[in-house]
Amino acid sequence: MVVRHGPILARKEDANFNEALKLYESKQYKKALKLVDQTLKKNSNHAESLALKGCIFHFTGNKQEAEEYIHKALNKGEKNYLVNHLAGVYYRALENYQDAAKWFKATLDNGSPNKHLWRDLSNIQVHVRDYKNLKDSKQAYLEFQPGYRANWTGTAVALHLNKNYSGAVSTLSKIEDIIKDHLQEGDRYEQSECVLYKNSIIAEGGDVEKALEVLEKDDSEIRDRLAFLEYKAKYLYILDRKKEASLVYRELLKRNPDNVNYYLALDDALDLKTKPLETRLRVYEKLQAFYPLSDPPKFLPLCFLPANSPQFHDKAKEYVLSQLKRGVPSTFVNIKHLYKDAAKRDIIAKIVLDFHDNQAPSLAPTVVVWTKFFLTQHYLYLGDFEKANKFADEAISHSPTLVELYMLKARVLKHEHKIAEASQVMEEARKLDLQDRFVNSKSTKYLLRADQVDEAIDKISLFTKLDENAVNGCKDLHLMQVNWVILESAEAYTRLYHAYAKELASLESTNKEEEESEAEVELHEKVELYRGLAIKRYQAIVNIFKSWYNDLFDFHSYCLRRGTPRDYLQSLKWSDHLGATPIYPRAIEGLVSLYLELNEQISTSAEANLGDSSKTKKNNKKQKKARAQNLKKREELIAKVESVKNESDPLGTEFLKSLYSKECNILDLAFALVKPLTEEAQDNVITWRVAYEVYLKQGKYILALQAIKNLERILNPHKTKKLRSMAERVVRLNKACREDQTTNAAIIKVVEKGISTTYPDFNESDVPGFLKLYSH
Amino acid sequence: MGRSVISLDDLTRNNLGTFKKINEVSLPTRYDDEWYEKSFEKNYITKLAFYAELPVGAVRAKAFNCNQIGASYESNQSSKSVQEGVPNSIYVESLAVLEAYRGVGIGNALLNFVIEDTKKRFIHEIVLHVHVDNTEVIEWYKRKGFEQKSEIVKNYYEKQNIANPHAIILSLRV
Repeated sequence: MVVRHGPILARKEDANFNEALKLYESKQYKKALKLVDQTLKKNSNHAESLALKGCIFHFTGNKQEAEEYIHKALNKGEKNYLVNHLAGVYYRALENYQDAAKWFKATLDNGSPNKHLWRDLSNIQVHVRDYKNLKDSKQAYLEFQPGYRANWTGTAVALHLNKNYSGAVSTLSKIEDIIKDHLQEGDRYEQSECVLYKNSIIAEGGDVEKALEVLEKDDSEIRDRLAFLEYKAKYLYILDRKKEASLVYRELLKRNPDNVNYYLALDDALDLKTKPLETRLRVYEKLQAFYPLSDPPKFLPLCFLPANSPQFHDKAKEYVLSQLKRGVPSTFVNIKHLYKDAAKRDIIAKIVLDFHDNQAPSLAPTVVVWTKFFLTQHYLYLGDFEKANKFADEAISHSPTLVELYMLKARVLKHEHKIAEASQVMEEARKLDLQDRFVNSKSTKYLLRADQVDEAIDKISLFTKLDENAVNGCKDLHLMQVNWVILESAEAYTRLYHAYAKELASLESTNKEEEESEAEVELHEKVELYRGLAIKRYQAIVNIFKSWYNDLFDFHSYCLRRGTPRDYLQSLKWSDHLGATPIYPRAIEGLVSLYLELNEQISTSAEANLGDSSKTKKNNKKQKKARAQNLKKREELIAKVESVKNESDPLGTEFLKSLYSKECNILDLAFALVKPLTEEAQDNVITWRVAYEVYLKQGKYILALQAIKNLERILNPHKTKKLRSMAERVVRLNKACREDQTTNAAIIKVVEKGISTTYPDFNESDVPGFLKLYSH
Repeated sequence: MGRSVISLDDLTRNNLGTFKKINEVSLPTRYDDEWYEKSFEKNYITKLAFYAELPVGAVRAKAFNCNQIGASYESNQSSKSVQEGVPNSIYVESLAVLEAYRGVGIGNALLNFVIEDTKKRFIHEIVLHVHVDNTEVIEWYKRKGFEQKSEIVKNYYEKQNIANPHAIILSLRV
């Protein structure tokens, strides 16, 4: 909302402007534009009108001119708060939150009477995580509107985010005191949440004793009884009042006997780890008697019992066989956790094999098949494909209508790298039950792995919404942000691109003719097509994550208004690590690899002399001709791969072309993609793998060294291995650093020093020896 | 847990693949896609049987006039002759149970379903062909009260690549 009561509107143009503003706010853009143009005709320097015209242009889709007008307006009236405000609105709509915050702040600094702007400003500041200034905005807004609890909570959140715990607590306590006697039934939920929020801040500040005391005092205010008990148990435990803590955990178990965390916490509270095994076991047996339908009391003893104890064998047998006899499909998944211990793994395998050979055949037929299912998974885990296949085949011939068996068989084949075969088996599974969405998506995924993108999209289209005249569900898959399909498609397109590029290269090396052959032209086109599509799909994932982040903007006002500060804080923390969502680094790596490859090709072709240019021209002509002929084919293709209706660049060709242009710095693009990963996904191998490559190409050798160190930290946490892949990176870094003439000598020194401290074995004069040593 | 381990459910377009699979692995005779497509026509009785929620058996039968009974497997599987005359019997085209799940009552459940459905249609006869060498199945049907009708139909399964391709007709009065 833009200010109405601005400075006194003495002149006519100001009155005109005010009128236009009203029209703009009620979205009557055409009429508003007419008025603004009238003013500008008389006075082309009228800054407010220029800014308003910029905003109108933005919202009517004229993006480029919008920017020009906003710039012009800011030039003419940088100190005019109306101009500032409109600029802020414009940048916020552009999702350029940094500049939006800047201009909203300027609006207030330049004397705008509209104090509501503090709220808008604070929402932007928290969105860009500018906690320092957030505190001031929240404070200012609170002073303006102290009558709303949400504003007090908002100030407390800002203080909390600045780690000012006591300030946050006193703000929350103050409003609690003020409204204590005026609470309605409808306010009770917010009251409960705020009290718990205050409590969690007290604890986070370190004074657990105080937190517990306040918690007990606020008992009657708290509606979320589960949170009350969990907080209480945690505090008691931290304060070393373990006996009391254990009682609360037992109470929690009564509420939910399936939550494994309560069992683990109870175990800690009772100090069972230090007690004799028998005692510990007895506790769990008792718990099992209390909660016979719960899994944790049966499973947890298997974790702490040593493999060589007789109890382990008996308990494991009871656990696994009772599930197999009931035909629980997830039996293997349930006990897989124990497989980390090889001795336990062998015992379990022996138990199940024995059961399979001797007992199962006399039981129900489904017991036999689920046992074979288990054994297939067991041997797949061990990498023994022969046996895994044997059991899978036996199971299938025993119960050929069980979908899971085919899915497992396909998985075994996938691990054997028999992708096409795996895909066929998965398809067989799908045909057994067409309405099974899970197997449908598996079949889609396996088709994508087999590079059959069109077929895959057709399969999953059975479960997507089909727009009118759409040939498949590709658009819906993008709209619904089905990341895995988009990513798998991108990877399939990348593989197709590489395969055709290879074919083209071998064809080119045999064809010495001046002109490209028909086949070459065709291949060339395919190469560019699949490369364009691959980049496009990867980019789609980047865009989806961007929109997730932007969607979170509304929560800054919503959560406080609803009075859910605890969940709000959690969602902030979560969105700080949005990039750690596993699928995101994978997409970035794929995209950046394509960028680096392209960069390499452009720089090598630039180095090669330009004598080829006549040939390329000819090629282009030929391509054009072929393209004209294939216009219809192209349209069909576009219909299949479009991600939104009437997309401007459906095949990614224009974007690819822009990458080829001289103004485009591909390495900068790659860096921009990698940088957020290094902040949000620091524990993901992919992050540092791809960051290393980008830094190396950019000549940022110290950062590349950091990436190596981070990779080493993740891949080799106990420093027990000498990894070949790491050694190769070290060698490449050293080489690149040495050969780069532009590098500062000091930097070389730092890198050298870094390498020799992390890899003392590295010796530049004996690289083969170093690589040999690093053989893992 | 109160629920029977054996249950019956309808055949739908989505689980037609399961029906196909059951017939393919359990019966010596072959059926083409066109045959399966007809399962959803009005005159057909179809049902899938489940053991512990796993589909393990299937039946398909149709109402027809027993004077129209054909002399070969193929002619009886195609529905052309069926249209004529008022239906006065139910012909079981296929009844299959996966090998590992035989002897637990699944065939029985499917047959009972057909019998009940036959009664509902006020028809009093169920007819079917069995391969002449398949004594196990013939015995099974006879235990259920079926009686052998007339003599052996020669070369009934001639085109199905089965040794000794003759069939007998069994029928049950209900």
